[in-house]
Amino acid sequence: MAIKVLLVDDEPSFVDTLKRRLTLRKLEVVTAASADEAFAVLDRETLDVVVLDVKMPGTDGLTAIKTIKRHHPLVEVILLSGHANLEASVGGMALGAFDYLLKPVRIDELVYKIEDAHRRKVLQEEKIRALRAAAQTHAGEG
Amino acid sequence: MTVAVIGRLRRLLGRLTGRPEPELSPAESERLTNLFRERYHSFRQLLAANGKALESMATLEHAAITGRAYGIDLVVGNATAVAVQVVQMIRHLEVLAPGRYGELAARFDELRQQLDRVLSPPPRTIDGRLVERLAEIAREDAVRVGAKMANLGEVRNRLGLRVPPGFVISAAAFIRTLEHNDLVTEIDRLVQATEIDRSDALFALSSTIQQLIARAEVPADLRSAVDAARRDVLGEIGDGVGFAVRSSALGEDTAETSFAGLYRSQLNVHPDNLLDSFLEVAASTYSPQAMVYRRLHGLRDRDTEMAVGCMAMVDAAVGGVAYTIDPQDESDRRVRVSAAVGLPKTVVDGRFDTDLYLVERRPLSVVERRIADQGTAFVLRPGEGVDRRALTPEQARRPALTDDQTIAVARTALELEAHFGGPQDVEWAIDHEGELVVLQCRPLRTARVAGRGPAIAGEPLVAGGVCVSPGIASGPVARVRSDREALKMPDGAVLAVDHPDPRWAALLDRAAAVLAEHGGIAGHLATVARELGVPAVFGLGSLDALGRGEMVTVDADGCAVHPGVHPEIEAARRAGRRDLMTGSPIGRTLRETLALISPLNLTDPDAPEFRPANVRTLHDITRFCHEQAVREMFAFGRENSFPRYAAKQLHHNVPMQWWVLDLEDGFAGEVTGRYVRLSELACEPMLALWDGMVAVPWDGPPALSGAGLASVLFEATRNPALATPFRKPYAQRNYFMVSRHFMNLQSRFGFHFSTVETLAGERDSENYLSFSLKGGAADLDRRAARARLIAEILGNLGFSVRVIEDTMTARVSASPQEVVLDHLRTVGYLLMHTRQLDMVMADPRAVEHYRSKLETDIGSLAARRPADEP
Repeated sequence: MAIKVLLVDDEPSFVDTLKRRLTLRKLEVVTAASADEAFAVLDRETLDVVVLDVKMPGTDGLTAIKTIKRHHPLVEVILLSGHANLEASVGGMALGAFDYLLKPVRIDELVYKIEDAHRRKVLQEEKIRALRAAAQTHAGEG
Repeated sequence: MTVAVIGRLRRLLGRLTGRPEPELSPAESERLTNLFRERYHSFRQLLAANGKALESMATLEHAAITGRAYGIDLVVGNATAVAVQVVQMIRHLEVLAPGRYGELAARFDELRQQLDRVLSPPPRTIDGRLVERLAEIAREDAVRVGAKMANLGEVRNRLGLRVPPGFVISAAAFIRTLEHNDLVTEIDRLVQATEIDRSDALFALSSTIQQLIARAEVPADLRSAVDAARRDVLGEIGDGVGFAVRSSALGEDTAETSFAGLYRSQLNVHPDNLLDSFLEVAASTYSPQAMVYRRLHGLRDRDTEMAVGCMAMVDAAVGGVAYTIDPQDESDRRVRVSAAVGLPKTVVDGRFDTDLYLVERRPLSVVERRIADQGTAFVLRPGEGVDRRALTPEQARRPALTDDQTIAVARTALELEAHFGGPQDVEWAIDHEGELVVLQCRPLRTARVAGRGPAIAGEPLVAGGVCVSPGIASGPVARVRSDREALKMPDGAVLAVDHPDPRWAALLDRAAAVLAEHGGIAGHLATVARELGVPAVFGLGSLDALGRGEMVTVDADGCAVHPGVHPEIEAARRAGRRDLMTGSPIGRTLRETLALISPLNLTDPDAPEFRPANVRTLHDITRFCHEQAVREMFAFGRENSFPRYAAKQLHHNVPMQWWVLDLEDGFAGEVTGRYVRLSELACEPMLALWDGMVAVPWDGPPALSGAGLASVLFEATRNPALATPFRKPYAQRNYFMVSRHFMNLQSRFGFHFSTVETLAGERDSENYLSFSLKGGAADLDRRAARARLIAEILGNLGFSVRVIEDTMTARVSASPQEVVLDHLRTVGYLLMHTRQLDMVMADPRAVEHYRSKLETDIGSLAARRPADEP
């Protein structure tokens, strides 16, 4: 099954180009032009990975990642920034970002990161499933 | 409880009770499988992060040693990348060993704070008034109003020389304007997202930023401050006068950096249009040539904030530039006065041939007059702007200056030299009333006198003109007449232009030398070429004799262009370009950054000092995380009770002293029992390494008995009882950790310890191979000699290598899978064939013999097709 990715960035030309290139690489891509739009998409659809621009008008990426991680803890978030900033990058990682990449990002590099993030999500889901199964077995025995 | 503990308890229980280990329930088995996968995933991520961190560190180290230009974005970008990777590594190590290395995070946080301080841009100079009167400023105010206007204030107020009335819109006003329009971070963002090394990207970026600034809104308080200052000037000299609006950026016109002609100046601006002019001049902070110049000098944008001078326009009858000495040759202390009829722009542009007068200092006398045929003059246009006016042949041939005027100019220039304490570059004008006015003065940068050396024999293609920047260089000829042609100029070309227009300064970082048909030493491009140490000859006349792309050698000292290249003569005379980076603000930032990132203090994993408390750099953290991750993976594999993931003994004809730990998909299928056979391995790197190990029969030293190959290979490994200086628990045996594309080998042949770690998958950028080797049975000198020999061989194959005493480390990264697998064969071969070499290292002849044998064998390995079954 294709990995489902949500791209969040306020620059339409950037989003369009990236969407086209990721789609060519067999990813399923949804886009949002702002953090609020992204929250709505996440409430509506099941997604694997969010690629989130750090600097956006309105709710910025670092604020948005908190909301996303609170409501959708299993969704992995990759931060994308046009501006290298040590504090923001390390801060973003502390908020649970899977990675922090600098624009312009090489497309292959981004795809690798999306794949790795997705793999992590699958592992987390399996782990939870196994724990639940174990809990049920115990409950059945008890 | 961790799996390891459970496993240990079970085995202990089993041994005590004599019962076999209990079977795992399906649910437990699934849980363990998940745990293994999660750990392996984290391990892989940790290794990838390690590779990326090393790459970014290497980029920073490389920048520091090559002396080539780089921007602050390279430093901040790579330092940030290292920090992010370090966070990843700490996070993944936490998955592998929960709670065990909590101290690392605290150490990282301290380092991050220090890095933050080093990388933070200097505070913006927002203090001070928005507008300052020329009558109220002097030299020491350069930090607010830029050196150009501060010097003029000094000339007016302390020396009492005539300068035009005027005022400065300060650097604080420039920043206020950027902030008022939300442009500060926007510009940073645009700059960072651009590959500035590419000319087309640079030109596009420059144009975008300049438009943003030119269209910005001027804050109301600045608007009214400029209004008031303008009224004062007009009150002093009457209406109907235009303004000269000139850049006076911080850092401009100083001894180190002239920025000659790289920013915009606008002449004869109507008083109503001052604010528009201010914005356009301010925008030229981001002209392509200024951006390249800053980059070459290691300056951040913030080191060169723009102040803008506004002065009443002088209607010049004659104008020009005076140099108080010869910029080519400091020993020639005659004052050089360049002059043209009309505005000094005719001289400053560097595009026209103008008069040159040489004035002896004592007694002050004109000793030489080179009168040019000045065809064109710039004059004020009524209303606004300047006009080009053609001179009659008679006017053109007449000297622009009388001797008395020449001496007056020279005297003023020398007065400025005495006051400022060094050779000066002075722009001056004489108005229609005959009054001499100083328009600008700055320190004159002189070129180092090039070492004269052997000359090039034979007839030059072009010769003559004037050497504006000494030196010798070669490259293909690139004729550039337009921006379009500029974009196509290849790196290292000899730039050949008609006129030395300052905009071509944007190409000087890529040009080997510069030739111009017109112009002379006083132009801006000449100044910049001298500062950068790019050889240049101007005023050569027609350059049509030079074919596009033809290889030529420019001998600037000899004012000649020769066909072909003359590497020996070039080498004998090359003075090298100036190292502008090391002492620059960006160079300093890089050094301070590297000090927190790069030195490795945790070198010996077996020393008691190898712990988080002793971490002093980010490199220490990556080293520590990597080492501990490998250990945790081994320990976990050895101690768990899960048969699928337990270490298996390698069986190849006979059981061997090699253990293989499957991390995920390193075995071809389910392997039951305690042995794994070579044919059951799916780990491509391990098979390639093995292939190299057995490819060439062993032929000493020392001479060996006729024992079989397998016994030769593993003779040393069969005796694990040998004393070991390593305290690694897993060093007691030879361990492979494998998956399909990954392999880590920790091995010991006798006293030789080696580690091979590799990732050879589909992602080229993440692939790597690292090989380290240490120890031996001989004395330290011979062991070290062996380490150097192997390093040399691997270095020739493209590895980056490092040798400390008898420890050799070699690494290749970001290579395609096949390349990594080829390298693995080489490493496998070297593992087998260099292990006893330390014994012969004292004998130079033997060293040569083995070097050539090793290199020949490695050559044949590359040609050899990998065997299916070694």
